[in-house]
Amino acid sequence: MARLIRTEKEVEGNYTEQWIVVEEDPLERWPAGALETVGKPVPREDGAERARGQATYTADLQLPGMLHAAVLRSPHARARVKRLDLSKVADTPGVRAVLGPDDLDVFTREPGYPGAPVAAAAADSYGQAARALDLAEVEWEVLDPLLDPDEAVREGSLHDEPERYERGDAEAGFAEADVVVEAEYRTQTVLHNSLETHQSVCEWNGDTLTVYISTQFIWGVRSEIAEKLGIPEDKVRVVCHYMGGGFGAKNHPGQYTFIGAEFAKRTGRPVRCALTRREENLASGNRHATIQRLKAGARADGTLTALQGEFVMAVGWEGFQSWTAGPMKMLYGCPNVSTVEYGAKINTSPNAAFRAPGFVEGTFGLECLLDEVAAKLEIDPLELRRRNHADVDLVDDRPFSSKNLIECYERAEPHWARRQEVRARSEGPWQRGVGMASQIWFGGGGPPSYAWVRVGSDGRATVITAMQDIGTGTRTAMAQIAAQELGLPIDRVQVALGDSARGPYAAISAGSSTVPSMGPAVRAAAHDAARQIIEIAAQRFHLEERVLSLQDGKVVSADDGSWEVEEVTGLLEDAQILGKGARGPNPTGMRVLTFGVQVAEIAVDVETGEIRVERVAAIHDVGRVINPLGASSQVEGGIIQGLGHTLSEERLLDPESGAVLTQTLDAYRMPTIADVPEIVTELVDIPDEHLTSLGAKGLGEPPIIPIAAAVANAIRDATGADVRSLPITREEMLRALAEAKEKARGAPAAV
Amino acid sequence: MELLRPSSLAELDGGVPIAGGTELVPLLRDGLVEAETLVDVREIVPRGISEGRIGAGTTLAELEVDPQVPHALREACASAASPQLRSMGTIGGNLLQATRCWYWRLKFPCYLHGGDRCHAREGTHREHAVFGNDRCASAHPSDPAAALLALGARVHTDRRDFPLDDLYRLPTDDDRGLTTLEPSELILELEVPQPQASTYLKAMDRRKWAFPLVGVAAARFEDGVRFGLAGVAPVPWTIADAEDLDSATPLPGTKYKLEIARALFRRALEAVT
Repeated sequence: MARLIRTEKEVEGNYTEQWIVVEEDPLERWPAGALETVGKPVPREDGAERARGQATYTADLQLPGMLHAAVLRSPHARARVKRLDLSKVADTPGVRAVLGPDDLDVFTREPGYPGAPVAAAAADSYGQAARALDLAEVEWEVLDPLLDPDEAVREGSLHDEPERYERGDAEAGFAEADVVVEAEYRTQTVLHNSLETHQSVCEWNGDTLTVYISTQFIWGVRSEIAEKLGIPEDKVRVVCHYMGGGFGAKNHPGQYTFIGAEFAKRTGRPVRCALTRREENLASGNRHATIQRLKAGARADGTLTALQGEFVMAVGWEGFQSWTAGPMKMLYGCPNVSTVEYGAKINTSPNAAFRAPGFVEGTFGLECLLDEVAAKLEIDPLELRRRNHADVDLVDDRPFSSKNLIECYERAEPHWARRQEVRARSEGPWQRGVGMASQIWFGGGGPPSYAWVRVGSDGRATVITAMQDIGTGTRTAMAQIAAQELGLPIDRVQVALGDSARGPYAAISAGSSTVPSMGPAVRAAAHDAARQIIEIAAQRFHLEERVLSLQDGKVVSADDGSWEVEEVTGLLEDAQILGKGARGPNPTGMRVLTFGVQVAEIAVDVETGEIRVERVAAIHDVGRVINPLGASSQVEGGIIQGLGHTLSEERLLDPESGAVLTQTLDAYRMPTIADVPEIVTELVDIPDEHLTSLGAKGLGEPPIIPIAAAVANAIRDATGADVRSLPITREEMLRALAEAKEKARGAPAAV
Repeated sequence: MELLRPSSLAELDGGVPIAGGTELVPLLRDGLVEAETLVDVREIVPRGISEGRIGAGTTLAELEVDPQVPHALREACASAASPQLRSMGTIGGNLLQATRCWYWRLKFPCYLHGGDRCHAREGTHREHAVFGNDRCASAHPSDPAAALLALGARVHTDRRDFPLDDLYRLPTDDDRGLTTLEPSELILELEVPQPQASTYLKAMDRRKWAFPLVGVAAARFEDGVRFGLAGVAPVPWTIADAEDLDSATPLPGTKYKLEIARALFRRALEAVT
């Protein structure tokens, strides 16, 4: 019987209460460790297809008669449009329609950031549309932009009320401390720069709008479009079979989709609206810069007595305040914590979620600060972290559903123990060192999510669910889960996803939630199908259901009877076995979090400021691991992206006009394969016994969180220099080295 | 736009020359160069390496692997761009590369574009010049140019020949150009003396595929060591000795470049002596 229950849902630390309907009883838990398929390394189901260029991304889609939209964007950070005349644009050959601020509310006459959309044209080719927009007559009144986030806080230009958090009494905590360390840390604005730029193709068929889109959330796009256009959700079909990266920036339909939908309506033709690489760097979201003024107090034995932080976040003209204070509140068992977060409203482009928003930034500050405490107390940094382990979640006094951070520290020991040997390899100007940092993040997912499993008479199974695979290997993980439950070899299971018209509701792929949200639904659907196969087999072979099970493509009985699954399903001919499953609730009153630690080995050329990251060991606790091969890919990707954030990536602005100076990939420097260190991945792989029938959490975000602090701490270990600002360019490295030299000169001689 | 493919120098009559296209095509696309007529010069510009002469149509990929080519030039070519770009880009075109200055690339009305001020001097300039930067602080991006300066290369065009040093000039109020080439003058060959030893050292923001923050080339000849610098001035830059680095005029955000230049200078000198 269907039961209506109230449960808690979390995405990236946002908790909401909601009703869900639960039909099935909870499934029996699988034993820990590698099973027949789950827990074994499985190459990506679609790897070859992607590598051969055969996978069709939104960017590859060509529909008959398709038009291309181009967008006229504000060249100014803050301005008013005094006059706008699009008549010459509309009269240009090839142009089929134009839109301006009077036609659609995504366009503005008062742009608050460079790249804000003002008008658009749709033409037979993108070139025609873009060139036609050069003929737009725009008279601008250019206004002085506000660019400095500290200045914005002083002027009260904020997105929300400052967010304050207090636990215990920080002042009393500092009074008890034997050492107090204070420092200011800065992180820069970085761009997602996904391989596939933001884009969609919109096509109306009668009163139904089909949206092909590069997205992380098929169902969210469907709801947002339906709401905006005032049409029923079932009149919007959203399709995304393959996706070239999102990293948090593609959780919503985006202005480009509303522009495309309107053009498609006006012209009766399919319309592509795709951002160029320059637009991607101007106006597609970013990880906002932060300024973090932090203070820690500790007793001589390393016990933290107080943590305090003021966080100024350069949110931009629109956007949200990411949870930069999160790690300070959650990572350690410190009784006295006081934080305040300001979201500065300034004339820069809106931010968007970016792989562990806030925690990447906040962990850099906090974990560097912890090492400064360790240095002052002359305590081993790893030991300091052990001594401050949080046994329960102190933010709302809840137990953890599972936490194996101590186990992560244990496993980090051999990597940490390499530091003497690494330092000893310093030679000439190359100084070597080792640093570490801890990681905390969400990643429990939640309901609702659904899946169906279809088994044909040939004994093959298809998982059907309208989820998206954003390039993380979701297809393969879901196939593994279904194969495990159905006792089928993996090559007899396929996954059909990516189309809201061809499957049930599926969760967002954000907040490290795809596996923990979708996996249990897929397992439940497969279980439903497996149950039916066993029921049919029991009748066919005159046995009791309880003595039958499915293994390796066979129906097996307790007395060693064995029949190929096709002997059962083959009876069906054209009939099919249909299973359905839903994601159950999260554990009540518990915090579901992920944990980890990374150890980085680096070398610094102290004469030229060059930094080489030579080795990173990543140890993460994310519950049960479905596909160790996919998991290590995720860890490697997170670390590489994090190294860009740590060392070379930065969106630069002209301080006068607010113009974005780094609009192309020669100026905005992401790591290349030559910059990638040796990466050693270890996953604790202990199922969370309170979380779903899988005990699996998400892994998308954890690996990017601690890398910047681990590298900065390794630099301190190697050189004695405190780098407190990202990216650690040669300029920053040389500055920090000079500062360290200055400090050493002023310090009393060592005894 | 039209594309001409002349088969001899005699047929050459104006237009914008194009060889590998790795530099020109992006400039055309961004509207930084305007051309009615493109002239594919691959048939008329020599390509190949022979006895100290390098055809201007030789690609960077060809130079980096040829044992006849002095080390400094091979290393400079190998450290430039990416394998794909080096397979297309020619040495002649490389010497004529435009700056990566973001203000110039984004068409700010800057000094180099004919305006009255350099936006980088007051603005964001961490990649910019430490020498010759009083009017325009852009930095020249060519690695091979620094190597060829150190090697004392001569340039042969379709009209004259001269030392590579004379190919470049700093912009002035009357002429914002950075080279001394006449309209439609074409570089045909480089004459590259063989040094006793040479090297090129480069500092960049990542391990591969980045323009030089600082590049230092050194080449030892019987009469002494010559140096060429990349990424430090609006044009490839020559210094005689380490003391010349003291005469630099760094901007607040480019002081660190001098520190790098000093270290690389010392290392380059050690490597060739």
